[in-house]
Amino acid sequence: MNKTTHFGFKDVATDDKQSLVRGVFDSVASKYDLMNDVLSFGAHRLWKRYTIASSNVKAGDKVLDIAGGTGDLAIEFRKKVGDAGQVVLSDINAAMLDEGRKNLINNGIFGVEFVQLNAQQIPFADNTFDCVSIAFGLRNVTDKDQALKEMHRILKPGGCLLILEFSKTDSEFLKKFYDFYSFSVMPKLGGMIADDEESYQYLAESIRKHPDQETLKSMVLDAGFGFCEYHNLSGGIVALHKGIKV
Amino acid sequence: MQHFVLEQALNYLIDQGNADLSALNGKTLYFALEDLPINVNFVCTNDRIFVTTDTSAGADVDIKLKSSVFLALFQGEDLTELLRQDKIVIHGDVKTAQLLVDLLQQIDIDFEEVLSKYTGDIVAHQIGKLAKSFKASDNPLEALKDELTTLLIAPTKSKLFKNKDA
Ligand SMILES: C[S@@+](CC[C@H](N)C(=O)[O-])C[C@H]1O[C@@H](n2cnc3c(N)ncnc32)[C@H](O)[C@@H]1O
Repeated sequence: MNKTTHFGFKDVATDDKQSLVRGVFDSVASKYDLMNDVLSFGAHRLWKRYTIASSNVKAGDKVLDIAGGTGDLAIEFRKKVGDAGQVVLSDINAAMLDEGRKNLINNGIFGVEFVQLNAQQIPFADNTFDCVSIAFGLRNVTDKDQALKEMHRILKPGGCLLILEFSKTDSEFLKKFYDFYSFSVMPKLGGMIADDEESYQYLAESIRKHPDQETLKSMVLDAGFGFCEYHNLSGGIVALHKGIKV
Repeated sequence: MQHFVLEQALNYLIDQGNADLSALNGKTLYFALEDLPINVNFVCTNDRIFVTTDTSAGADVDIKLKSSVFLALFQGEDLTELLRQDKIVIHGDVKTAQLLVDLLQQIDIDFEEVLSKYTGDIVAHQIGKLAKSFKASDNPLEALKDELTTLLIAPTKSKLFKNKDA
């Protein structure tokens, strides 16, 4: 029997999901940053700023950003770790990595390494990084438990995992607004700006399928992390989970 | 959110080279106030400190005290003296506890204000703090931006504290 998994609200064969996800990001790559600003009213910049501050990354640290896309986090991490440190920007999608490379150059950021990788099989040795981050990426990964185990493996003891992701808000008002926005407005805007309504429909659906705060916290602890806590941002529309490997 | 501020302040201190963490590396210290809903773990690793409310993994040292004693500690009261008076209960290595207390005594946080958020008039304190940070800052626009950031990423913050009062 074929194994199936979610692709937004559709059930698809597990093996197909990764290539479908790849298709989504191939088609939105070049408009990605503009879309982020429009769709989140610019708030994604604040969420990312909070993520960077929470990392406590310092000069000389080694950081891996997974599903890094256009490199927003990598840019800030690079400034923090300095020349003595190392930042690796990674993504499963080559078109996204290309956008990342351009974006970094445009921002005058050099010395970041680029690696195309799948979060489920990370090609780095055990205990390599001080910090691993994944922003708005985990919900696209087919086997999240496997990916979390991989992140745990490559972190040094004492290292910190940061997961920034859409989550569940408990405010009824925000819930209603957000449902309307993400299912009615977001795909339309996606259609207008990036000429790809279907991909943004997928994004809206994948957000709804993502585990809520407490579930994700248990998943992080189950993957082997000693501590995990989360902070709700913008009333829980987004949550930052922070895991510490002990 | 309070422990985020504490974490930032501690790591700032460490970054500035004003604190030596080597003796604390690899240690987790649990700090609990008996009369307020505040208990946190200080996870010390690789020359930085994470302050977390999660207690999934156990701690090496357990420190329990009342909030008034906590404030006394930061007004310079001696840890050994407080221990002798049974005002602090420590399970685990007292020397490790002393190292963390030394560090906390160095940071420039108004703990009285932080604690008052759990008990007193939040709004007045928020406004007071805002005014203070504007005065202290060379760049009031930046300060305003930071305040707005906090507001935007944590709009439910004040509700949280209201619940605690109830
Ligand atoms: C919504 S973007 C996030 C980009 C960036 N981190 C940000 O916050 O702006 C999601 C990214 O996840 C990547 N991705 C999807 N599945 C992945 C996987 N299994 N492993 C690594 N990256 C993946 C996509 O290619 C895409 O670039």
